[in-house]
This record gives sequence, C-alpha cells and structure tokens, in this order.
Amino acid sequence: MRPTRSLAWGVLGAVVIVSLVWAAWPSGDTPTDRERAHEVATGLRCPDCEALSVAESSTPTARAIRRDVLARVEAGASDETIRATYIERYGESIVLEPEGSGLGVLVWGLPVAALISGAAGLVFASRRWRREPRLHATDADEALVEKTRHA
Amino acid sequence: MKHPARSIALSVALVVIAFSVVLATQVGSDPRADAKVSQLLGDPLPNFSVETLDGATLTEADLAGRAVIVNFWNSWCIPCEQELPALKAFYARHADEPDFVMLGIVRSDSEGAARTHAKAEGMDWVIALDPEADAALAFGTRGQPETYAITSDGVIVASLYAPARVKDLEAMLAEARRSQ
Repeated sequence: MRPTRSLAWGVLGAVVIVSLVWAAWPSGDTPTDRERAHEVATGLRCPDCEALSVAESSTPTARAIRRDVLARVEAGASDETIRATYIERYGESIVLEPEGSGLGVLVWGLPVAALISGAAGLVFASRRWRREPRLHATDADEALVEKTRHA
Repeated sequence: MKHPARSIALSVALVVIAFSVVLATQVGSDPRADAKVSQLLGDPLPNFSVETLDGATLTEADLAGRAVIVNFWNSWCIPCEQELPALKAFYARHADEPDFVMLGIVRSDSEGAARTHAKAEGMDWVIALDPEADAALAFGTRGQPETYAITSDGVIVASLYAPARVKDLEAMLAEARRSQ
C-alpha cells in the first residue's frame, strides 16, 4: 500500500475513533433526580396509550407513574431497579426499548453483526480487486479494434 | 485464513439465516401479549387506599377475610356500559353473602360524573374514587373495564381485561373461593 494511502486510512480511522469516543463519553454533569426520573419515564410505555411514553402522556396513569418513578429515584432506587419493578407489574411490554437479554440481544445484536460482516466483506473484496492484475491490450487486440472500427 | 471472502460470505449468510429465523418465529406473535393478562396473578393484593362515595377510606386491609371482586370502571367508557347489566345481576346474586365484597374503583373520571352515573344506574356495591390513579397503578391496570378476583387471604387469582359477563364473574368468584 502506498504511504499516502496508508496515511489517509489512518487519519480516517482516527477521526472515526475520536468521534465514537466523543459521542459515547459520559458528560460530566450529574443528572438531577428529576432528570433521571424523566429519563426512566421516557423508556416506559404509557399503559393506557397506544404509542406514547410515560414521559409524553398526560393520562392519569402516566402521571401516577411519573410521580412514582420520581419518588423511587428520590428514595435511592437505581434506574434498573425501577424498570424491573414496572416489568414485574406490567410485563416486558411496558419497556419501550428491548432488553439486553433473551430475544432483546438478537434485536440489538443482529443488525450490528450484519453491519460488521458487510463492512468486513467490503474490505476483503476491495483487497482482492486490488490484487487482481490489470489487463493491458496487446497489439493484436488493438489491431482487432482498428479493424472493427473501419469495417 | 485461506479463503477470507468465503468466510465473510458464510458469516453474512449465518446472520441472514438467524435474522430470518427470528422474523419467522416472531411474526404473528403479539409483542404485547403480556398486556392481555395481569402480571399480578398469584401475587398478594397491592397496598392501596381509596375513598368511597360515602367518604370512608378503604385500604387492602379492609378487604381481608372475604372473597373480593374489584372492578375498574368509569362513566364514559362504552365497554363499562356494556358490562353493567352483568355486574348488577351478579351482585344481586351475591350481595347478601357475608364472605363476599365487590368494589368498583373509578378510573380516569371525575368524581361528579362517577357519582351521578353510579346513582342513576343503581350500582349498589362499594364504589370508590381514585383521583390520582394510585390504585389503578398499584393493580397495574391498562384501561377499563378491568376486573380482578382476590381470595380472602389477599391473593389475586383471576383477572379480566374485557367487559365481564355473569359467567365470567361467577368463575372468578369461584376461583377466589377455591383458592382461599
């Protein structure tokens, strides 16, 4: 591989890595109890709505859940404990995002696996294409083309 | 790796097959099937506190020692209207039984509307208000009407997320009495 091309790939890789780390790095601010409660409520499905989260809905049940979640956060419960409490009471369907276990792993994992496999396939394919010798026209080929052109 | 392209192709094929299997097994299954039955079956009656139309405070402790039918309803819900004749007929059959109590908890409705409706319809069983939806939340309700059967020692043994018929209510009460 030529040095300039290696350098370009290196820079591109560095940019991707820095961007990912930047996006994934937790912000320094500690969320308040209300912010945490809102975050948990955003991940819970409003039980008596079709497609709204508890944070978005104004039904009495959604309001009761928001109060309950805030009270649990203020009492020191972790986000996971609160979610587990609601799954126990309402079932898995109360959670808007799939869980990181059981079938949820497949839901998260398969698209990522497909993406990685596809990217790896492209990398190998491009290497293979580069290895294949370029074809050059022989004198006989050139003559054949000329002959056809003037026919 | 001797044939990297072949290995990659195989990996992609495996992912596609796995994805197909997941789709094939999940398509047609209801992702919200757990929303059709109470997750509290077999659990103790949750703590709750409601105020009856007579102004008395009623908690789960007040129901102990009797088989209980709890019905969540309100004045504007059509299915609640549809099940009302069944509730009345069922209650008339069992009202005098000392080991039985029926509690109607108003869900997502104003006190005035519920009070007027209960009086006009002759709902003679205990009716209680739940303005902050705390009882609705404690029972894990998803709407109305919803009906629960509870044993005399306070265990939820049956639930119904649909307008109740008399035979449903009889079966639920029998379950509550059988399980106690």
